[in-house]
Amino acid sequence: MSAQEKVRLLLSRQNGKPVLKPNRALVLKDAVAIRRPRKGEATCITEMSVLMACWKQNNFVDALCSTEISSFYTCVSKAQEAMKNQSEQSLHQGRLPPKQALTLLKRFPNIQSEI
Amino acid sequence: SSYAIALKHRGMSPICLRVVVLVRWSRYNPYYLEPEVRREAYSRPEAELSTEEQEERKLKELRPIKAATCSTTSSVFDDPLISKFVRMIMTDGNKVLAREIITQTLENIKRKQVEKYHKSPAGKKEEIECNPYTIFHTALENCKPVVGLASIQKGGKSYQVPIPLTDNRRRFLAMKWMITECRENKHRRTHMYEKLSQELLAAFEKEGNVIKKRHELHKMAEANRAYAHYRWW
Repeated sequence: MSAQEKVRLLLSRQNGKPVLKPNRALVLKDAVAIRRPRKGEATCITEMSVLMACWKQNNFVDALCSTEISSFYTCVSKAQEAMKNQSEQSLHQGRLPPKQALTLLKRFPNIQSEI
Repeated sequence: SSYAIALKHRGMSPICLRVVVLVRWSRYNPYYLEPEVRREAYSRPEAELSTEEQEERKLKELRPIKAATCSTTSSVFDDPLISKFVRMIMTDGNKVLAREIITQTLENIKRKQVEKYHKSPAGKKEEIECNPYTIFHTALENCKPVVGLASIQKGGKSYQVPIPLTDNRRRFLAMKWMITECRENKHRRTHMYEKLSQELLAAFEKEGNVIKKRHELHKMAEANRAYAHYRWW
């Protein structure tokens, strides 16, 4: 059964009381709610903990921990690039961010009147 | 109107009313590209460039480009790090004074190092660095912190969480610490260039108050490493 037929059944008064008694028209809005994105996890924690352990061992002398520092910096730059590419990735995974959906709906809203 | 009458009385035509140009929130259209000021970027032949760089060149032929600021030059003496430091030292828009201070600082560093060079024995002469620009760059590099602390609220209490810093933030912190330390913690009768040269030379040797401050920050970050998971980015 299509959605239209299901809705018609839910509203019909033939089989006793109707299931739905809508006070507004059953029409989609021209807007989407903007939900806050879920909080991510902290990046580069292992690199940071390795660096801190090296610091503790060598009494915070940076010359002895140069490898750990450089690996920490590479991890940080990769994480920053991943953050930048995240918005592009959500498009490929089939998920549209709410702000982009909102702009599209504003450009192509529901037709209110005949042209 | 009364304003027009006042203008006519002064001999100006009432049409030339003052128009206020709003510049506070104005910015370039993001379509505009940054200007390339360095001379070396243009002296390279076509064959040497990779495909990406050739595409970039073609793009730059068509897109509009922002005007370069009056402080940027394509001369060999233009140093972006020193320009940034000059702007940070500047107060009340007095860039001439800030630039004077920096040039005097570099001259002072050179004088001290050349004196050390001539006084040292022949074997140790090569180890002494006389170029004030390299001393400035290495001193600032030695002052840059690796991790920073951010105040994050969780469960009503705020914790100091160790976070990775961007390159710009690290450079800014190093310069800020240098300037505040020279302004506040030195004897008031010494000139700023003297204080700066002392502190820069100390930072070059990895001593001094700015290096100490950087150490303290690292120690705090290490002490608070348990809270690293409170970060969400």
